[in-house]
Formats: sequence, structure tokens, C-alpha cells
Amino acid sequence: MPEDHDKDVYPVPPRQTPAVDKQTTLPNPALILSKLFYYSVDVPVSTFRGIIEGIQGDKSKYYHQKFRRVPELTECREGDYLCYYEAEMQWRRDFKVDQEIVKVIKDRLRACQQREGHSYMQNCNTELKQFDQVTKAFQSRYADLGAYGSGRKCLMKQKERMMAETQKA
Amino acid sequence: MVGMSVLRTAAAFAARINPLKRTCQSSNLLSRTVARSEQVAVRHGSHGKRMFIIKPTAFYDKRFLFLLRNYLLYTGVPVAAIVIFVNVFVGESELAETPEDYEPEHWEYYKHPITRWIARTFYDSPVKDYEKMMALIQIETEKAEMRQQELEIRKHMREKGDGPWFHIKTLDKNLIDNSPKSSPDN
Repeated sequence: MPEDHDKDVYPVPPRQTPAVDKQTTLPNPALILSKLFYYSVDVPVSTFRGIIEGIQGDKSKYYHQKFRRVPELTECREGDYLCYYEAEMQWRRDFKVDQEIVKVIKDRLRACQQREGHSYMQNCNTELKQFDQVTKAFQSRYADLGAYGSGRKCLMKQKERMMAETQKA
Repeated sequence: MVGMSVLRTAAAFAARINPLKRTCQSSNLLSRTVARSEQVAVRHGSHGKRMFIIKPTAFYDKRFLFLLRNYLLYTGVPVAAIVIFVNVFVGESELAETPEDYEPEHWEYYKHPITRWIARTFYDSPVKDYEKMMALIQIETEKAEMRQQELEIRKHMREKGDGPWFHIKTLDKNLIDNSPKSSPDN
């Protein structure tokens, strides 16, 4: 199976499942089904993958590309189209990163809901607040820019936001 | 004549009694006692077994499906075989930390071996593409700048009148032949 994510970076909170307190002698059907699934599906698939990986031998490596920071659109002189281009590319990369951040937060909330079951509304408060905050921030920055959204339009949206704030105050 | 009518009635009676057993068929056409029956003598070439099944043509449908299957498999099977071999024998790459003072080649940023091969063989590195785009932008900026300058210079030269662009060259006065106007009586 492909490896799970790094548990140091995205830590899994301690499990809150209660200890097993079996009061009947009847077998647990959930346990039976899970064992059945394990032996009929999981074990064959994992052995197959193990065989294939044994055939493959030494694998090549791939790396994570890191980009340097360049001056943003606000730090460019007027008419300096090269600076505009670099700032635009940087803005696009940052947009993609922000989309992935929202996905991660969303996945955390879904994992929390899956773990807690029916009591998720009480137990998942931190995740819920974080998700709320992150999505509101994303919406205020990137929403409604349209299909041709660019760093310039985002900057104009920020200007409108700041103007609205000063008018409210 | 009377005997003929007796024979005729006898033949008619016999035909009525047993319509299947006809002794002489031709006489029944003259008397009006031809008994109609659904059984007709048909000649099968296959000893009584019915062989010619009449149905609408399946030729065009069969031909279409045959051709479709063949053409799909001519490219499909080699591509599927290549992809299976690559996935089984070469395998995907593993993520690793970039070592210090090592600049990975541009294809080493991809995971699947076929993507890496395509990036290595056909595509320019994204850094090169970026620089190409920046070069185009630079050229266009310079062009726009020069056009602006030209318009400005034209305006100034036309206004002041001392710029070289708006000097109209006149002839050298030594070349003018003044002989037609040199005396008043010419």
C-alpha cells in the first residue's frame, strides 16, 4: 500500500474509542466482516504489490521543487513588464499552495468526523473553527476573481476590501 | 356420354373421399372437384431438412464491429503492453530530500517514469520556458518604448522645425542653369 502521510507533520489526535466491554457471548459481526475483508482483499493485494516491488529493484528519486521569492506586484515599478510577469507567476504558485492548504484542513475535518462518529459536533471543535477561519480567509482573498483571475485582479480586490473596511470604521 | 358422366361422378366421389390419394390428377382439373390442400410438393436439396434461413443482412454490422475491434487493438495492445511493462519492471520514483549543492535536472521533479521520459526527451525545462517568455516580454517592452520615443521625437521636431527628420533637401544652387532668365530679352 502506498505510504501514509507524515505523522509528525499532521499529527493524529489520541483515539477516543472506549475500551471494549463485551457483555454477550455472541460474535461481533463487525469484527468478522473486517477479518473477512482483510484476508480476502487486503492480503492478496499486498502480496501482489510486494512481488512487483521485489521485481523492480532500485528506484530513482524525485524531488520537491523550491522556488525563490521575487518582488511582488506592489514592489514593481510601473511599466516594468518583466517584474509584472515574475510577480504574476509567483502569485499563481501561491494560489495553488493556498488551494492545497484548504484541502488539507478540509481532510482534517473529515477525518475528525469519521473518528468521532455521531458526536462529531461536540468533539471536533478545534478542527471546525480552523476550517471556518481558513475558508473565510480563502473566500475573501480568492473568491469571485473569475476564470481569468490574476495577481492584479486579486490586488484590486484587496484594495476594495481595504476601502470597505475604512468606510465602515 | 352417359358412361362419361358416370365416370366423372365416380372420380369426383373418389376425390372427395380421399383427397391425398390421387390416382390421376389431370382429370380432376376438368371436373370441378379439385380439393385444396396446403401440402405442396417441394424439392429440398438437403434430404428434407430445412436449410435456407431467411433473415436481414448482418454483413454491414459484422464488418463494422470487426473493423472497430481490429483498429482499436492495433494501437491499444502495444500501448497497454508498454505501460504494463513500465509499471511492473521500472516502477515509480520515490520522494527524497534534495541534497545540498545539487541542482536536480528538470525531469527529476516528476514521479512516473513515462512522464520523466517525456520531460527529458521532448520538453524544455520550465526554467528555460520561463526565460523564453521573459525574453519575449523584454523584446516587446523595448519595441513599445521605442515607438513611444519615436512619436515624441516627431512631435518635437515638427514643432521646433530644427530636427533632421523634417528637413527637405533642396538642390545645390551651383547646378541651376540660369541662362533662360539671365537677360531680359530671352
